[in-house]
Amino acid sequence: MFIRPFRFERAERLADACELLRQHGEDAKIIAGGQSLMPMINLGLVQPDVVIDISRAVGERDLTSADGYLRAGALVTHARLAADPLVRQAQPLLSTAASRIGNARVRSRGTLGGSLAHSDPAAELPVVMMALGASYELTDGRGTREVRAEDFHVTFLTTALEPDEVVLSVRLPVLGPGWGWSFLEVSRRHGDFAIASVAALVRLAGGVVVESRVAAGGVSGRAVRLADVETGLTGAAPDQIGERVGELQGIQPLSDAAASDTYRAHLARVLVTRALTEASQRSAVAA
Amino acid sequence: MTQTVAVTIAVNGQSITRTAGAHLTLLRWLRDAADITDPKYGCGEGVCGACTVLVDGEPTASCLVLAAQVDGAAVTTAAGLTRADGSLNPLQQEFHAHHAAQCGFCTPGMLMAATAMLADGRTRTRAQIREDLHGNLCRCTGYGPIVDAVEAAQERARDSSAAHHGPAGNGSARNGSARDGDAR
Repeated sequence: MFIRPFRFERAERLADACELLRQHGEDAKIIAGGQSLMPMINLGLVQPDVVIDISRAVGERDLTSADGYLRAGALVTHARLAADPLVRQAQPLLSTAASRIGNARVRSRGTLGGSLAHSDPAAELPVVMMALGASYELTDGRGTREVRAEDFHVTFLTTALEPDEVVLSVRLPVLGPGWGWSFLEVSRRHGDFAIASVAALVRLAGGVVVESRVAAGGVSGRAVRLADVETGLTGAAPDQIGERVGELQGIQPLSDAAASDTYRAHLARVLVTRALTEASQRSAVAA
Repeated sequence: MTQTVAVTIAVNGQSITRTAGAHLTLLRWLRDAADITDPKYGCGEGVCGACTVLVDGEPTASCLVLAAQVDGAAVTTAAGLTRADGSLNPLQQEFHAHHAAQCGFCTPGMLMAATAMLADGRTRTRAQIREDLHGNLCRCTGYGPIVDAVEAAQERARDSSAAHHGPAGNGSARNGSARDGDAR
């Protein structure tokens, strides 16, 4: 609780935050909702010299939908993602995942951009972004660039952000006609980071899977898209999903106090099957 | 040298200005700079809920926000639930009646989490009350009496809003609004 003093700077615009990052270098940290940075500061895991507040920055709080895509500003809170009628209608996978984050306090202050930039492999939002093939708009204050979620999340708490860049917004596809979705996670206690989580999307046609997307969190240094599972699912009836989902490829689960690596791998496979099954049931209803 | 900043926050309706370290969390600012000690420091990670306050009506872990970030905000702590005459509000009364505190460390946070929860006016089942209070830990009560108290407060708020134009039940149980209105 008795944290090392640091300087406090407020950025009026996100572009100003980039300039402050250049000015103060590596020992500066961005704070928005603070729900990831402050625990690390309170526990002494991070000791910044300067904290740059963007929680009151102008802009990037909008949710808009156009041309089949949903755009969400980086400063949109988890509570808004969970409750906003546009998000619930356009991409229920995202609103549902946001409603599972932490607790009401975390959701009321925590932001979309903050969670993505923190890039915890067990966090809810990166898993959804991987499944949806989302892309993020980043800025260094001078220009912007677009990076796919796949390329943004590198490994544990590590992203493709340059030292003077911040996340501006997220762009993700809205739920297409006939698609079903599911978000499932298991944690030891309610509100803990998930031991494993899965985001799934399925489209059925003629009673069989024609398209699917699935990603898992908590089982690698970052959320992973499970392309092999998707490929293997094509042509399967919903009740065949269980037998089509084999050992998950491309995951590297770790052992920690919450679960062993083998348990994590097993749990992820179970959740993948259940999520795909639930998504296919929703697809059947939607069709 | 430690940077200090002047921060003004309306705490329980009273505007307070303190110049203190720019690195102070809202919780430390309240407790150490402003001498408002009902929010407690539990975990520092946002897990235990003992530091829960309302910032502009939103439930907030005061240990996870810097005071400087919420300069100019209105903050309600558990002490601010008490009515102007010093009597307990309906939620506090139900906590008292159901013996929903033992050591009392979690109680200020529980009250604020429950206040935030009841503010939307939705009627919750016991299971939903438990679900929405999962972010507040209590090591004494086993949670039963706390859920009883919140359920009873919810019932009272519903009765009083149903009997809105009838005989006033128990003062101003306005669906768990943060305060009973007056600024002290």
